[in-house]
Amino acid sequence: MTQTSEQATGGYSLESPTVNALWSRKYLLFLHNVTAVFDGFTALDIDDIGIRHNELRVVIGPNGAGKSTLCDVITGKTRPTTGSVYFDGEEITRLSDAEIVRRGIGRKFQTPALFDSLTVYENMELSLPGPKGIFSALFATRRKVEQDRIMALLERVKLADNVNTEARFLSHGQRQWLAISTLILSDPRLLLIDEPAAGLTDAETELTAELLLELRDKHTLIVIEHDMDFVRQLDSPVTVLCDGKVMTEGTMDEVRRNEEVIEAYLGR
Amino acid sequence: MCIRQISRCVAAASVFFMLAATASLGDPLAELLRGLAQEDGEARAATLQSLVATGDERLETILEDYRRGSLYSWNDQIVFGIDLIEDDDLNEFVRIGDVFSHEPLLDAAIPLEDILVLEPNGAERRRVTRAKTLLGLSARQKIRRRAAVRKIGTQTNRTAALEKLQHLAETDGDRIVRFAAAESSAMIKFRSQDETVQREAAEALGRLRSVRARSLLEEAVRREDVTAPLRDSIETALARIRGRERLIATYDIVKSGISSGSVLVLMALGLAIIFGMMGVINMAHGEMMMIGSYATYATQLLFKHTPEHPVNSYYIFALPLAFCASALVAGLIEYLVVRRLYKRPLESLLATYGIGLIMIQTIRSIFGDNRPSNSPSWLQGALEFLPGLTLPYNRLFILMLCFACVLGVSALFRYTSLGLKMRATLQNRDMAAAMGINTRMVDSVTFMTGGGLAGVAGYALTTIGGITPDMGQNYIVDSFLVVVTGGVGNIAGVVCSGFGLGLLNKVLEGTLFGAVWAKIIMLLIVIAFIQYKPSGLFAPKGRLADE
Amino acid sequence: MSNRVYTVDALIKRGYRTKSTVGLLNGCVAALFLVFALMLPLLAFYGLVPIETVNMAGRYLAFGIVAMGLDLIWGYTGILSLCQSLFFALGGYAMGMYLAHHGNLFGPNGIPEALYVVYPYAIGESKGMEVLPWFWMPFKSFNLTLLLGMLIPGLLAGVIGFFGFISRVRGVYFAILTQALTVAAWMFFSQNNMKFCGTNGLTHFKTIAGHSLREDPVKLALYGATLASLVGVYVLCSLLVRSRFGRVLVAIRDSEVTLRFTGYQPFAYKTAIFALSGAIAGLAGLLYTPQASIVTPSYMEARWSILMVVWVAVGGRGSLGGAVLGALLVNLLYNTLTSQHTVLGVTWKPDYWQFVVGLLFVFVVLVLPGGLVSLWKKYTERIAVET
Repeated sequence: MTQTSEQATGGYSLESPTVNALWSRKYLLFLHNVTAVFDGFTALDIDDIGIRHNELRVVIGPNGAGKSTLCDVITGKTRPTTGSVYFDGEEITRLSDAEIVRRGIGRKFQTPALFDSLTVYENMELSLPGPKGIFSALFATRRKVEQDRIMALLERVKLADNVNTEARFLSHGQRQWLAISTLILSDPRLLLIDEPAAGLTDAETELTAELLLELRDKHTLIVIEHDMDFVRQLDSPVTVLCDGKVMTEGTMDEVRRNEEVIEAYLGR
Repeated sequence: MCIRQISRCVAAASVFFMLAATASLGDPLAELLRGLAQEDGEARAATLQSLVATGDERLETILEDYRRGSLYSWNDQIVFGIDLIEDDDLNEFVRIGDVFSHEPLLDAAIPLEDILVLEPNGAERRRVTRAKTLLGLSARQKIRRRAAVRKIGTQTNRTAALEKLQHLAETDGDRIVRFAAAESSAMIKFRSQDETVQREAAEALGRLRSVRARSLLEEAVRREDVTAPLRDSIETALARIRGRERLIATYDIVKSGISSGSVLVLMALGLAIIFGMMGVINMAHGEMMMIGSYATYATQLLFKHTPEHPVNSYYIFALPLAFCASALVAGLIEYLVVRRLYKRPLESLLATYGIGLIMIQTIRSIFGDNRPSNSPSWLQGALEFLPGLTLPYNRLFILMLCFACVLGVSALFRYTSLGLKMRATLQNRDMAAAMGINTRMVDSVTFMTGGGLAGVAGYALTTIGGITPDMGQNYIVDSFLVVVTGGVGNIAGVVCSGFGLGLLNKVLEGTLFGAVWAKIIMLLIVIAFIQYKPSGLFAPKGRLADE
Repeated sequence: MSNRVYTVDALIKRGYRTKSTVGLLNGCVAALFLVFALMLPLLAFYGLVPIETVNMAGRYLAFGIVAMGLDLIWGYTGILSLCQSLFFALGGYAMGMYLAHHGNLFGPNGIPEALYVVYPYAIGESKGMEVLPWFWMPFKSFNLTLLLGMLIPGLLAGVIGFFGFISRVRGVYFAILTQALTVAAWMFFSQNNMKFCGTNGLTHFKTIAGHSLREDPVKLALYGATLASLVGVYVLCSLLVRSRFGRVLVAIRDSEVTLRFTGYQPFAYKTAIFALSGAIAGLAGLLYTPQASIVTPSYMEARWSILMVVWVAVGGRGSLGGAVLGALLVNLLYNTLTSQHTVLGVTWKPDYWQFVVGLLFVFVVLVLPGGLVSLWKKYTERIAVET
């Protein structure tokens, strides 16, 4: 009994001023002692990760480092085996995924998840912030303010011509942008963006980077990425994951000089 | 020497011919039988006694014919009436046959006026029944001996047979005959008027935990003239007997649960593999099973196996044939339809259901409805651990077949290169294809294996019930429930959930509820279980779980 | 960009504004259908068409209503329910009990004929002591019957959906569970001692709302009521699928996980739409029973629930009009092919229908996954772009 409660709070009491002060003042998102174990295989084992308000944090790591599992744990798709996740001063470890979304954590998946048989506009519409219950959906009307917001965003990602195109007919880059746009539209406080540059052309990658940098002013972002050029364009603090553990944190340059990181990426 | 042999043969043949033609001439039993045609009732009774005294095995059928009134007296000879014919003027004729073999004696039928019907009266019929029972005690076949020994315990005024029963109880070669003889002799003694004898008998019945004697004892205990000590011993005996009955009831539930579980496992095994590997819901799986049954039936026809003239070897050949027939049909379906529907379970469900309908109608057009199946004679009968605790051989056979299939499939998966390819395709189709595995071929083989397993299930089912074109429909939903509960593509899960659901169903059915409520409650339990474990008993974890 | 020449397909893909023209063409078809459907009773009134044809058309229209409900849950939301025949039969039984109440009554307690014939006596009960079961009572009232005939299947669907969807039972698993439930319900209703008249079902109907069922005007009125319900349900469902609610349903079909991460609770939507589809099926059952003058547990058999799915598949899933079309066409086909014909010396036996329906399943899935409507859609869009 004592064992588990200690594990859940990482050895601290929840009321302990140290931890409490730590996450509520400094961090929007704070992971403490989080592990995720599948069939005896430890996919994730993190002591502490904290994301500050309005920070853009990049998470990199070789394949199987636990990047996706990290996202799954934050968004409630996977329950961590031990440890806790705090968001804006409250523990969200045991909440349902929909509740976590409602608290303000949005996620773009590795492969852009869209509603293929809905049009671009309809995809955006579903992401509008606001009540999402049955009755509000039954009697929802198209409001001018919302329409303008949607169109403005679509202009920005060059999708304005395609408002009535069903999402399945979009190109890969367009899908990535639409996915990011829907995420932005839903106005989350924390955006988890999983591999936004995967499979994009250089020009598209550049636009994506610009977009993310613009977002930094109003939002907090976690970007998970492989593409080193893209990460350099973002010019932000980097966390390196390896074998489910945090290997190092720092700026891109620091990380690139780190022997361990080079070893992990190239050494095998 | 050669000539002598031939002449001996001719002699033998002619004797045989004569015997056949003149039927029973010269047979002492036939002479005795003639006494049954006498007018005098007491003389007939005496004839009956002397008949029983011969202990002749052939009497069993003859007495039964006599009791039913199928024996006639014709030309001072006892004959068997094969059937009664009526011509257009309502004159009745009898076709007569030999009293022993029932073979027709004459080509023409005899007018009913020219022949005497032997019609025993009620008292005589009862006497004949008792005589038959007594005859049965010394029958050579143990099945008939068992029946007779059991029967005699239920008859009144049988003290004369006690000695014979005691002898049987001690010396008979068959365990069940020994037990039943002890039981019956105690029952006969219990009916006596002497209270000490009655008490001893009651105690003996209690010791034997004789389920057969329960109603006899219960009747006795309800009578008002029973003395206290006798009542005590009867009550003790009854308590012991009821305990045994509870044991038997529990055992029966477990037995039928396991045996229906083994059929479910056989069916679900193929389904689970197919669904796990290809994401195809095969609604025609029940029909593959049906194909297996019909293949078995066809083999039976081919070998001319009938209950009267068993050709048991057919059943051995039928197993590979049933497997291959179903596998071939499965392969055809896979090639024509299913390979276009991978990873589209809902569509595959509809398409295969349609195929199932076609298969049912095809078989119905060829064979017609409802074919009788005759299992080989070595699957008839049952193992009897204790009196009342039996395990029919056919159920045992299905259980063993089920285990053999599970082991076979596990071995296929674990130890063969094909199995390795199957597992690889199951886990990551694209990767497997990239490594040079012909996944199309693997799919094909998987589907055929699954179909073949269903065929084996159908083969096994022929020993339990009749064969109908739509027999598969009764099993398909339950088999799917097994797959859902067990987890997809998981042999251990299928085995556990198959036996689990089979047992659960029978427990619910046998204890509290009827079949319908049992089914509904079982379904609710499955739904509740899925709430708790959405991906089945042995769910895949990690990245595999995402699919 | 302006210099590029688009093919018709590309234009359609780019969402070229074809909507108004396509809508016009669709409207024409709908109007044509309505005119024909309204003409039918008129023709019968003047004796040009036998009344049995109208009666049959009325029954098939009732099937069309079920098909629309099924299309909501399967076509739009992507959840295959094999329960619809159960909901349909529940509505049918509700109406059946009402009709039985208003036929011949027997015994001191006024037992409807259908129940009286197969009354299962409990131990100690004897003839003349029959009691009307409590669950038969509410169905004496016509209005209550109409209400319960939709409410009971709707609520049952809601409960099934609630427990199924809350634990994220998906896809095939849901299909199998609903199939199993249907089988269980079939067993339940087939038992005599459940006092639903066992496999005999409910028959011996005489009057509905005070009018004899034998009379032609009543038959025409029933047809009219069915047609009106069909149109009403169609309008209701169209409004629903055009609202944001409808878009959420399609989103569930496309990717439920994504929808959850967009902040919706798919579970609530799925439960709601399943309950609605159940109620619609119940309504169809209410309308079907007086026109078929019998309701038996056989409507709950597995084959019916799957056959209903094929109606929708043949017509075109994800299109309400397609669902109705499919239901009507398949049943007309059934009607033609289950009687004996001899064409050019070849005898067609009713048994062969099984082959046809089996092939229909395979054909629709393999060759025409979008149903007949997809052909029509392709055709009209082409016309719209070219003009």
